[in-house]
Amino acid sequence: MTTRRSTTVLRYVALVVLAALFCLPFYVIVRNAFSTNANITSAQWNWLPDQLDLTNLDSLLANDSIGILRAMFNSAVMAVLQTGGTVVVSLLAGYALARHTHRLSRFLLGLTLFTLMVPAATTFVPMFIITAQFGWIDTFRGLVVPGMFSAFATYLFRQSFLDFPTELEDASLIDGCNPWSSFWRIVVPNSRGIIAAVGTIVLIGSWNAFLWPSLVGRDATRTLQVALSQFMTSQGVRYPELFMGSLVAIVPMVFVFLFLQRYLVRGLTTSGLR
Amino acid sequence: MSTPHATVPARPQQGRAGLWRRLKGRQGRNLWFAAFVAPFFVGLAVFVYLPIAWSGYLSFFEARNTVSPTRFVGWDNYARLLNDDLFIDSLLVFVVFAAFIVPVTYVCSLGLALLLNNLKHGQAFFRSVFFIPTAVSYVVAAIVWRFVFFNGARFGFLNSIIRSLGGDPVNWLGGTNDLYWVALVTVRLWLQVGFYMILFIAGLQLIPHETYEAAALDGASGWRLLRWITLPQLRATSVAVIMLLLINAFQAFDEFYNMLGSIGSYPPYGRPPLVHLYITALGGGQQDLGVGGAGTMILTSIIVLFGLAQSWVLNRGRDK
Amino acid sequence: MKLNRRTLLTLGGGLAATATLAACGSNNPLASEEPTTSTTGEDTAAAGITLQQWYHEYGEAGVKEAVEGYAADYPDATVEVKWTPGDYGSILAAQLLTDDVPDVFEVEQGGSLDMIRSGQLADLTDIIEPVRDQFNASVMERFTFEGKVHGIPQTIDMQLLYYRPSLLEAAGVEPPQTFDELVAAIEAVRTDDIGGLFAGNDGGVGVLGTLFIWASGNDQLNAERTEAAFLNEDFYNALVAYRELSASGGVVQAASAEWYDGAAFINGEAAFQWGGLWSLPQIIEAHGDDVGVLPFPAIGPGGRPAVPFGAFGACVAADGPNVEAAKAFVKWLWIDQEDKQVDFSNSYGTHIPAKDALVAKADKLSGGPGAEAARFVAESGFANDIMWSGTLGDAFGAAVSNVIKQDADPATEFADFADLAATELEKLQG
Repeated sequence: MTTRRSTTVLRYVALVVLAALFCLPFYVIVRNAFSTNANITSAQWNWLPDQLDLTNLDSLLANDSIGILRAMFNSAVMAVLQTGGTVVVSLLAGYALARHTHRLSRFLLGLTLFTLMVPAATTFVPMFIITAQFGWIDTFRGLVVPGMFSAFATYLFRQSFLDFPTELEDASLIDGCNPWSSFWRIVVPNSRGIIAAVGTIVLIGSWNAFLWPSLVGRDATRTLQVALSQFMTSQGVRYPELFMGSLVAIVPMVFVFLFLQRYLVRGLTTSGLR
Repeated sequence: MSTPHATVPARPQQGRAGLWRRLKGRQGRNLWFAAFVAPFFVGLAVFVYLPIAWSGYLSFFEARNTVSPTRFVGWDNYARLLNDDLFIDSLLVFVVFAAFIVPVTYVCSLGLALLLNNLKHGQAFFRSVFFIPTAVSYVVAAIVWRFVFFNGARFGFLNSIIRSLGGDPVNWLGGTNDLYWVALVTVRLWLQVGFYMILFIAGLQLIPHETYEAAALDGASGWRLLRWITLPQLRATSVAVIMLLLINAFQAFDEFYNMLGSIGSYPPYGRPPLVHLYITALGGGQQDLGVGGAGTMILTSIIVLFGLAQSWVLNRGRDK
Repeated sequence: MKLNRRTLLTLGGGLAATATLAACGSNNPLASEEPTTSTTGEDTAAAGITLQQWYHEYGEAGVKEAVEGYAADYPDATVEVKWTPGDYGSILAAQLLTDDVPDVFEVEQGGSLDMIRSGQLADLTDIIEPVRDQFNASVMERFTFEGKVHGIPQTIDMQLLYYRPSLLEAAGVEPPQTFDELVAAIEAVRTDDIGGLFAGNDGGVGVLGTLFIWASGNDQLNAERTEAAFLNEDFYNALVAYRELSASGGVVQAASAEWYDGAAFINGEAAFQWGGLWSLPQIIEAHGDDVGVLPFPAIGPGGRPAVPFGAFGACVAADGPNVEAAKAFVKWLWIDQEDKQVDFSNSYGTHIPAKDALVAKADKLSGGPGAEAARFVAESGFANDIMWSGTLGDAFGAAVSNVIKQDADPATEFADFADLAATELEKLQG
């Protein structure tokens, strides 16, 4: 019994140490966000912040070359539209692929799996050309639409629908629903878990996206990540503002995360990653 | 084989309406199917397959600052890239990066999942702590790693520790040594290990309790349990995790670009394929879309071959 | 000024490179006698025309308001200014591929080879020819390609070596005129508290790369632009000399800011800093009179001092709807309106007016380091060749980095560069 107890103690010690390591970057962001430049670049490492007020936030908000509020707005619009679009498009396709097993369906499923292997980032050059040809550079359409067709999301939805009983749908079809209304009235309300899970994954990816927004997002549609990255290498960079900006960038997602974590775990448990 | 029902209408009578009915399927099933899948596959065609096709076309032309080139150059653009030491190096960088990041993430995320599995107190808390970094962007993490942890100046975090132990500051990211790999691997590890941990936790929960109990009755414990029960049961999860890790490693761009690059320049070391392609095709004011197209085709082929090889190997393994 | 002003001058780093020592040094003794106001332009720019003008984001406060003011003052058309933060070069290049092109826009070194070749830029030779010799000769040389000019220089930027005279005096050394003297001076002044030379957090290989070509007495390309012209012992020895300086600890490898910011020099992290002229006001504010400037010193027997310079040129889209009106506007602003040109160079950071006669009117250049900087450009100014393409710049930067950081042998490392350059140049010659 003592060996079991000592392993338990060891387990907790390991967990606490690891948790502290995992929290360190967050602590550093907060420390720097509430420090003066001198505190950050001091030859002697300081664990504590030295400017626990809103000075850095004020100067961040006032700094036109970052344009943090506008960038946050752009990121939020992009993330929400892309998440909504991806979920709807993939939900429809995933459902149909799960319910139909004819040859075309199997072919399309194969195509989806194939696309899964070719990540969108690999084709950023031609995708950029296409988007430019559409005249979508520096528009929300350009930011959102090209990334809306996720094979990963479609595949996850399809896998989860395979386990979804068809009785309810069949009953609703007999009651006179067509597949469209049956889908929205019966299937979608019963799939909130997987929708929340896939939605969270897409939302995080979209909010944190960098390569594509840095190509397409310009003046009017510069996103938060792009703004931070540009500020980081710019001549006017000031560490306290940079880290305050980073803090501002992660806070919304951390809250979304803590809130949706439950669904994510459950959704991934029921999806096809088995 | 003869027709069982005499009432089946003769073919000639079907005409166009019959064909339409067949296309529609029973109760218009096929039509509904088309309506459901059309948005996704049309999007896939326009934004994935059309671009690949177009870059295949452009790759055979000299296409600087134009998308409707006229000068056919055959395989020149491919030859240029394949003779480009920096491009070959970038493929090696991917190999080295994947060789580190895939097994390390795999072991760490599985380890965390096992540590948390069946934990009596604080499981949700620890899970959240390990999971939250997933919400942070590569850009923000790169800022922290570049300017705090692996800052080469004396006020950098690790350099402060080294100096307090009496050592000299280390130039982590400067390329005079290979230590930049430590920064690149740890930043990605921090960001992604929580996500894969969740996948493993989900996988662990699906292992029936009886399996363990039966094994425990046989006297198995510790490593033997892990080796003979847990890992085999996690097989499907492992396959998915490794595949995702590889695909993600191949796409590496954000943290490399933000940790090593500065506007207008990127060092020759630590340059993964997508970064090199970005620099050659779209870098600065130049747009060399012919070479960009060729690069896209080469990288796409590589990753498809990779994927096919992997699923072939895994399927063979499964058959055994 | 930020982002692209830096890109412009990040010579060895690779991506930016599209600049020159172009030929066609043309002297037009009769040019100034020609009428300097072209009526054709102004006639077509009648009421109702709206022009779009693009700038990259300048870092100094007030530049945006200033250029908007210039545009508002223009009588013959409505000019809308579009301010473009971020990677201006690629943003502009992408926009020029579409149907919706800006009428007037600034381009580094007055237009890249690709832009000129693909016919994106209108020929501005006719408006600059009459006044050509009023402009800085080195800049005009760089702006002329195959006898044509596609951009009107707006203002000149350059890089130089900052030092603190008081530190040198205390150590008993003179301002270094050669690289060997620089090495000795660094050894004499550096202590545990203050480092030697700072030229960027990459150890200086990015920004100093092409300087090793020029300061060792070489040129990037031969006169016909068919091959690389610097692959010789002098250049290799220059790289090795810098590598030895780095290895001895004389080069600060990491500081609190980049080379294009004055902070490292201001904070006393280094006794010497390679930086931009644009940081001069910031540095003078911190160190007052105790600021000296030098060109990059000559290296080796055939060496010569060198400073890189660059200029944004105002260009006109050849495919724009109002080419003549746009040309008239460019001529008005960057050729005729000398007060505005002085204001643009002198009121926001330190820059050198593109017209020689206006240098005297820029008070920041009237004496001290500013005046010396202007002299450096005239005497020792170099710019990337127009055929020093991104491909060449990237390969060059990689080789320099490998020599200095990985201890690679220069001759081996540059062995492939000759072939690469020949192939690339053949392609560029068309």
